[in-house]
Amino acid sequence: MRDSKALYNSKVFALVAFTALLFAFAPHIGAAAPFDEYDLPTIEDLYCVIIKDNDAQLLALEGGKVDMLGDIARISDIRRLSDNEKIDLYLAEGFHAFFLGLNLRKPPWDRVELRRSIWEVLDRKQIVRDVFGGYALPLFSFLPPASPYQAESPVGESNLEKARERLEKSGWRWSKKGVLIYPGQTKPIPRMKLMTPTAQVAPTTAEIAERICESMRGLGIPIETEPMDFSMMVSRLDRRDFDAYVIAWGLSRDPDSLYAFYHSSMDIEGGYNISGIKLPDLDEALEALKYAKDENEARAAAREAQKLLYEYVPQVPIYSRYYVTALRNDWENAVTSKYTTPDNVYSFLSLKHREDRKNFYWSLPEEPRNLNPMSAGSAYDWQVLSLIYESLLGTDPFTLEDIPWLAKSWRIETTDDGRERTRLFFVVREDIKWHDGKPFTAEDVKATIAFMRRHSIPRYYDNVKDIEDIKIQGDLVVITFSQRSFWYLHQIGGLPILPAHVLCNTEDWRSLSPDKLIGTGPFQFASYKPGEYVKLLKNNNYWRRAVR
Amino acid sequence: MKSGNYWMRRIFTSLLVIVIVLSLNFFLFRLMPGDPTSTLLDPRFSPEAKEELLKSYGLDKPLFQQFLLYVKQMLSFKFGLSFLSQKPVWQELAERLPNTLALLLPSLFLSAVLGTFLGVMAAKGRGKFSEKIVLMSGAVSFSFPSFFVQLVLLLLFAHVLPLFPLRGSASIPPPVGFWNLLGDKVWHMALPVLSLVLIGFGSWALYVRNLMVKTLGEDFVLLARAKGLREGQILWGHAFRTALPPIITIFFLSLPGVISGAVITETVFSLHGVGKFLLEAVSGHDYPAAGAAFYLLALITVICNLLADAAYALVDPRISFRKVRR
Repeated sequence: MRDSKALYNSKVFALVAFTALLFAFAPHIGAAAPFDEYDLPTIEDLYCVIIKDNDAQLLALEGGKVDMLGDIARISDIRRLSDNEKIDLYLAEGFHAFFLGLNLRKPPWDRVELRRSIWEVLDRKQIVRDVFGGYALPLFSFLPPASPYQAESPVGESNLEKARERLEKSGWRWSKKGVLIYPGQTKPIPRMKLMTPTAQVAPTTAEIAERICESMRGLGIPIETEPMDFSMMVSRLDRRDFDAYVIAWGLSRDPDSLYAFYHSSMDIEGGYNISGIKLPDLDEALEALKYAKDENEARAAAREAQKLLYEYVPQVPIYSRYYVTALRNDWENAVTSKYTTPDNVYSFLSLKHREDRKNFYWSLPEEPRNLNPMSAGSAYDWQVLSLIYESLLGTDPFTLEDIPWLAKSWRIETTDDGRERTRLFFVVREDIKWHDGKPFTAEDVKATIAFMRRHSIPRYYDNVKDIEDIKIQGDLVVITFSQRSFWYLHQIGGLPILPAHVLCNTEDWRSLSPDKLIGTGPFQFASYKPGEYVKLLKNNNYWRRAVR
Repeated sequence: MKSGNYWMRRIFTSLLVIVIVLSLNFFLFRLMPGDPTSTLLDPRFSPEAKEELLKSYGLDKPLFQQFLLYVKQMLSFKFGLSFLSQKPVWQELAERLPNTLALLLPSLFLSAVLGTFLGVMAAKGRGKFSEKIVLMSGAVSFSFPSFFVQLVLLLLFAHVLPLFPLRGSASIPPPVGFWNLLGDKVWHMALPVLSLVLIGFGSWALYVRNLMVKTLGEDFVLLARAKGLREGQILWGHAFRTALPPIITIFFLSLPGVISGAVITETVFSLHGVGKFLLEAVSGHDYPAAGAAFYLLALITVICNLLADAAYALVDPRISFRKVRR
């Protein structure tokens, strides 16, 4: 007992010392320019420089060849850059979430008390300390930490004794070799595998998988990791041919992942209910969330769904990675918050060089292979496209709330003519011009949505499939849906809007040539040299100038 | 047998190889676990949206129909659109091939020439200090992992001593004028090529040294010495010429590798090459891109094999494709 207390005290001391050390090197959180002062960018030429190797990216940043480098994941890189007085590091909570998934369709994971015991026995804080040097958050919720819909989660210390006690109470026993015996049976549970990508491809994931297995074995679960090619792993998950797995997800501000992951209708081929949870009360709560009438209903439904998830534990959240970005400190006025590092559109509206330099070099870690807003899928494509195209609504970088952007106001209404339907009203700005000088109008919004619907464009299929009707009256766009859902607001409000005069001449949505990359954003497309860079030029007609 | 018959038979077998590769390319990629939507891990993408995506790729059609379309595309060299980029596969390859060729052709040629020369010199000075140096440097070059050598070179000659650029194959923004552009390209490719030569020459040196040691021990070399021929003439005119056919075979069989690219080198030096393209095509189930690239590789391999056969006869007069009548 004395020993364990001493051990506990030494752990507490180590944790305090570690936290102090972390803060000594901590990246900045939250410094920002006033939100309403965004104007025309001061940057004239923006180069997105393609540098694929991690070390080369670091050398380029240190040598001043690039000004900003995002998504820095290696702890050694973060520490190295922390020591560089010419570079500022920024850290934000992101939408990343790493889960331990379990196959609830078969024993032993069909027993909720076992899943709860796993929740209890995994020492997430230790994992985060050991594997990420503290640059990640232990995750105790089913939504990422930055999500405004995250309900209060049962955070607790890892407790093996409590987990064993819970199992004992539910009729579980242990064999002489310490392996768990399913209640009412005589034989120990069979050996199981935990699928993980290989250490060569995903070293931290493989390391965490090993630690999870070790903790599970401590509880009496005979499990080992099964490293495999990622495609093979995804294929096995699709076939539901697994015991357990670990996987990381890039989620979003909205809680739409809850329905996709845990509703019984999603346990089909291509669906994301991989764990196979099927419970009527959870389904009901998730349907209430998916078809919420307004924000208040959505928040209440999200809370209720998460409450049930904490009870049923269909999978076990492990950690969420921070998003770390480095910016050379001769650039000032970056917009950063708890939720965003400087690599956002608002920063590009406010960044200013101390010596008035007009060129900015932004590191792109991969080739933007698909610079077509209709089919672009990768984050690298959108790193470029998000500066060219804009949407009806923006997201406040400090609160994550909707803010006016191409639409100066909006309203959501539920009609009830026998069946409840959502109707959205957007009033678009009248002072905006496309990069080619033509005026932006409500007609462009209608044309974009109609084009996406007509061609069943896969990327936007879910956003527009429930639309029944679009009407425009002057600068007002009215969209009626076949069902009721608050989330239609974000699905439509977040669409990139393209010019009607480009879309009417586009036969094949897959082949939008670079000369047709015409948006309303602060930068316009200038050139793309494959393998080298994408060059964007300041949009001198950018509408934010008029906003002041 | 006439040499014409020999070539007819070789061309026929080569075509057969192409047909087999063509079929395997189609079926093997489809037998791989998953499909092009498998790696699309996004809970906002519903099962219906995934079906629409497969439809847009033409993967909703019956397999036989897909196969016929694929064969038609391959034979007409119109490879269709890449699933990942939605660009024509030809365009993707054309964007990448110049960098890959500029990287791998000079490095293959320089490694082969340097390695062969050092191998011959080591064999000539057998037991001497020069042989030990070649053997040691060859083994070191052969055994160091490429990414390590390349990162060290990058750190030393692009960061500590900024003599070469850190990345890419052109400056940003690129210089104006043909000669400036050419100079800029050479400057950018120098370090990656040097790294591949450093990594590559060792295997050539060790292989050629072993071949030459064996050849220099043959009776005809003894006879040449007895005839009083000069050492250089014996070494290059007799021994090396005898050892040349297997070297030529290896050289020609290395050529298809020049097209398939060097993934690690391309990544370290941020070069836009075919290697990464192939890797992404296979791992991303990009059937048109992977199918076209492997089809072209098979074609080039078959052609290089034929060229190696032809070169045999040129370098070694003892080899003839006519059947000897007994």
